[in-house]
Amino acid sequence: MANTVIGSTIVIDGEISGEEDLTVLGTVKGRIGLREHIHVEPTGVIEANIETATITVEGTVTGDIHATERAELKSNCRVVGDIRAPRILIADGASFKGNVDMEG
Amino acid sequence: MATVTAGTCIIGPNIAVRGTVSGEEDLLVEGRVEGGISLAGHLTVADQGIVEANLEVESVVVMGEVVGDIDASQSVTIEPGARVTGNIRAPRVIIRDGAYFDGSVDMELSLPDHLLKGRR
Repeated sequence: MANTVIGSTIVIDGEISGEEDLTVLGTVKGRIGLREHIHVEPTGVIEANIETATITVEGTVTGDIHATERAELKSNCRVVGDIRAPRILIADGASFKGNVDMEG
Repeated sequence: MATVTAGTCIIGPNIAVRGTVSGEEDLLVEGRVEGGISLAGHLTVADQGIVEANLEVESVVVMGEVVGDIDASQSVTIEPGARVTGNIRAPRVIIRDGAYFDGSVDMELSLPDHLLKGRR
């Protein structure tokens, strides 16, 4: 039971930090600082600046994303904010508005 | 002895949340939460879980550590080895042998008047 899961009816207003994988089905506002993987499920809503190693977005993210390894925007996701990561994948059907910086 | 129920929402052992957590489902805290928890559901604070927050929940089982006031609409259970510092308000409060608790308990009893005199 290593994963952290923010359930679909849960709202977190504040800061999440740590060193394990995070799955978001609910809402997180504030700031996320993680050294592992973040998965934003289709029902997930994040209004926060994100620092992580890798992130996969299927839901909604409003805020800047800084991934040290990889950021992936799946189809049907909605992302507004700047993305900084060495590897950035944007799938067909994804909605994205912001700057992309692959320089790291 | 209560078992750890795997709800849909889990704060894992290596995660810290600073702020408020609110929602309508069961929550399992294995890591750390500082701030406040407001839940229409059941809260479990696991062995290694640390909660420094005021709690507003339906029910809570503490196996780890809680520092803060607990307001439960149903029950509060403090298991052996758990540490709770704060005031508890709930209709049912269970403190097991081996649990540490520092604070007051308010079960909203409807005592006869002559017993309530001098108590408040």
